[in-house]
Amino acid sequence: MNKIERIDNIEPLAWFRRQWSTHPLFSTLCALLVMVVLQTIALGFDQGGFGAWLSLWTRNWLNILRNNATIGIIALGMTFVIITGGIDLAVGSTLVAIGAVVMVFIDGSATGLLTSIGITGAPAYLVGIIMGLVMGIVLGEVTGCLITIGKLPPFIATLGMMNICRSVTQQCMQTINPSVPRGFTQIANLSVGGQMFMPIIYWLVLAFIMYYISRHTAFGRHVYAVGSNERAAKLSGINTQRVKRMVYTIMGLLVAVASILQVSRIGSMDYANAGSGYEMDAIAAVIVGGTSMSGGKGSIAGTVLGVLIIAVMNNLLNLIGVPPFLREAFKGVIVIVAVLLQKKEKV
Amino acid sequence: MTLLMKEISKSFGSNLVLDKVDFSLEGGQVKALLGENGAGKSTLMNILGGVLPADGGQILIDGQEVSFHNPRESLDHGIAFIHQELNLINDLAVYENLFLGREVHKKGGAIDHAAMKARTQEVFDRMGLDLDPSVMVRDLDASYKQIVEISRAMMMNAQLVIMDEPTTSLTDPEIERVFSMMRTLRNQGVGLIFISHKLGEVMEICDSYTVLRDGHMVASGLVKDTTSRQIAADMVGHELIMRERRSSERGEVVLKGEHLGDGHYFNDVSFEVHSGEVVGFTGLLGDGRSELFQAVFGAGKLTSGTLEVCGRPVTIHSTSQAVKLGLGYVPRNRKENGIIKDMSIFENGSLATLSSRRKGPFLDNERLEEDFARQKAGLSIKMGSEDDLITSLSGGNQQKVVLARWLSASPKILILDNPTQGVDVGAKEEIYEIILRLAGEGVAVVVLSSEAQEVIRVASRCYVMYHGRITASLEGGDMNEHNIMSLATGAGE
Repeated sequence: MNKIERIDNIEPLAWFRRQWSTHPLFSTLCALLVMVVLQTIALGFDQGGFGAWLSLWTRNWLNILRNNATIGIIALGMTFVIITGGIDLAVGSTLVAIGAVVMVFIDGSATGLLTSIGITGAPAYLVGIIMGLVMGIVLGEVTGCLITIGKLPPFIATLGMMNICRSVTQQCMQTINPSVPRGFTQIANLSVGGQMFMPIIYWLVLAFIMYYISRHTAFGRHVYAVGSNERAAKLSGINTQRVKRMVYTIMGLLVAVASILQVSRIGSMDYANAGSGYEMDAIAAVIVGGTSMSGGKGSIAGTVLGVLIIAVMNNLLNLIGVPPFLREAFKGVIVIVAVLLQKKEKV
Repeated sequence: MTLLMKEISKSFGSNLVLDKVDFSLEGGQVKALLGENGAGKSTLMNILGGVLPADGGQILIDGQEVSFHNPRESLDHGIAFIHQELNLINDLAVYENLFLGREVHKKGGAIDHAAMKARTQEVFDRMGLDLDPSVMVRDLDASYKQIVEISRAMMMNAQLVIMDEPTTSLTDPEIERVFSMMRTLRNQGVGLIFISHKLGEVMEICDSYTVLRDGHMVASGLVKDTTSRQIAADMVGHELIMRERRSSERGEVVLKGEHLGDGHYFNDVSFEVHSGEVVGFTGLLGDGRSELFQAVFGAGKLTSGTLEVCGRPVTIHSTSQAVKLGLGYVPRNRKENGIIKDMSIFENGSLATLSSRRKGPFLDNERLEEDFARQKAGLSIKMGSEDDLITSLSGGNQQKVVLARWLSASPKILILDNPTQGVDVGAKEEIYEIILRLAGEGVAVVVLSSEAQEVIRVASRCYVMYHGRITASLEGGDMNEHNIMSLATGAGE
């Protein structure tokens, strides 16, 4: 009983230490706050007046969020995958494959698939989006089946999918060169009050949905159970195969959203290079956000923080003029430091 | 050596697990440390073994105060802790295990196998043990593995050996072998602490005993001055009432297997289970009963035979389908198959009902909480907060949480595999009561157990298995230890 009294009148430092060791996200949040403070200092205060400073600061932030929405969305799906103890290396390549499908359907040139039969504008975009989402689901489902029915380790299955998707896309798109109509670019670039919010809104809405699924649906809890002890989960009547398959399907769906956003935002797609490295960026964000690679532990909120930490750090490095080649090194350092800090509970 | 632990206290969070406990041991003595799960036995021994720090109190060895920060320091003072899960590497030879991490090297840096074997042989000679040091640990039976652990302690000149439930997975002749080893060591002046739930063994091997209950030392003395009945009463805090088994009212056949086989572990198995009855399945380890019921529950494959649930023939492909058909399954080996260690007590207790307690697509948390609160009360689970991790509970309480998981699902057929594994006398009796209560409520209960006494205690009928086949179905007066043993060992054939 005297234990409880002690908690009431502890000093700030002890409170801090307690939060640090009991709340898994506390250290992540602290890291983000430190980054934001440094970034704000680096941005400087010499813009002449608070109004001007605030507008610069806000614009900088909107930039950060917008530029990281794609990785942010992919990292949401990656969180579920990693919580089940899996991994998805294929996201960068499936992004390209899905992007190609979308581009073919929305092609605005006279020879375009839908344009040539007289379907243009919003109906064509809708068909393109639906086909993109279907493609994402199909690719995710295929990966899921390879892992569950084919009993392949996720690393191998997704490594294979990574090579297949990019290579086949490049071959198929060799002779086709679809153009993205202006209207379609509005999906990501719609400007409200001079600012483009749309990617940020998509990201945050999806993050909220994924958070809600993880905490408040049977499926979400099953994801954690499967990752922590698959056998016990199975013997508790959980369809573990289905849970694992679903996780990759959701991943595919989210990659599709990211792909559609990317096509809309950039207005084109470089099939050879687009999305390359996304899998590692997403995995890095998930890990920085406190999700355990061995499964069973982690959270969507942590992943959002993880994406932000890496994003703000990149912005900070940019502001203080660190050469681009060195920035990757900092990303490596932050991943390692994050995991070292999370080890504290184990000792 | 003389060990004295004075007023040891320890709490985890707000949960006080040891409250000023005294414990002492002389060399040349075997002392039993008894108590229900959660009484604080493991915590006390973990403090002595340097695994956990104490919050208060003193440890004196031969009158000198000592403090241990890690198992190594404890070992340096001659205290060896043999955990229930043995720390042996199956693919190394006995002597390599003994020298693991302390290998003897020749001058050039190569490992000196000959020297290590010779030193192992010396230790074995001193212990009067006839065992070849170069044999692979994999090829040893469970008792010899236990003995190898003891000899490792002896090699490091341990004067005090803590043995945590060493006999749990041993057969009778194996237990006798470990006991004779313990007697040899005692005669050489080594002090042994024997943690066990089996009072019969305590009466046989121990000189003195200490009983813990809810973190307090409640009884201590010489074994020759007491009875197992008295010790059991000390452990639970009241006289154990062994209620007579009721002959429950049988309903219809709800689970029926005909000529079931999986082509490997069991074949041509036929049985019937009625609602409202407890049916036992017993036999020796490896008789196929676990595999049989895993397959029935959809976690394994049936290759032949037909299975009927509630009169309808079914093919069960997955555990989730089994649950929908009204089956429940409490697996053996709680740690590997039962609990989800990263989840809270509440989440573990509600795992089987998450899919069925929903409001639209979302979890109906209120109902889940209600269910769990009801089971918590019904099973008298002892816990701090239900949001604590499951691993903060003692084994018996973890087992009750796994039971709660299934009781919330209100199954028509509940299969329990070794439901009292690693559970103390008091909790055991509680679990038996729960099983009988369930049968009284009309649930068909299947209890798989290798303990004949357990089956006789709860079941109204039992099937005995031997090498993947049912050798007999026993009922009434025929269901006695003698018959079960002879059928389970194949003597009846």
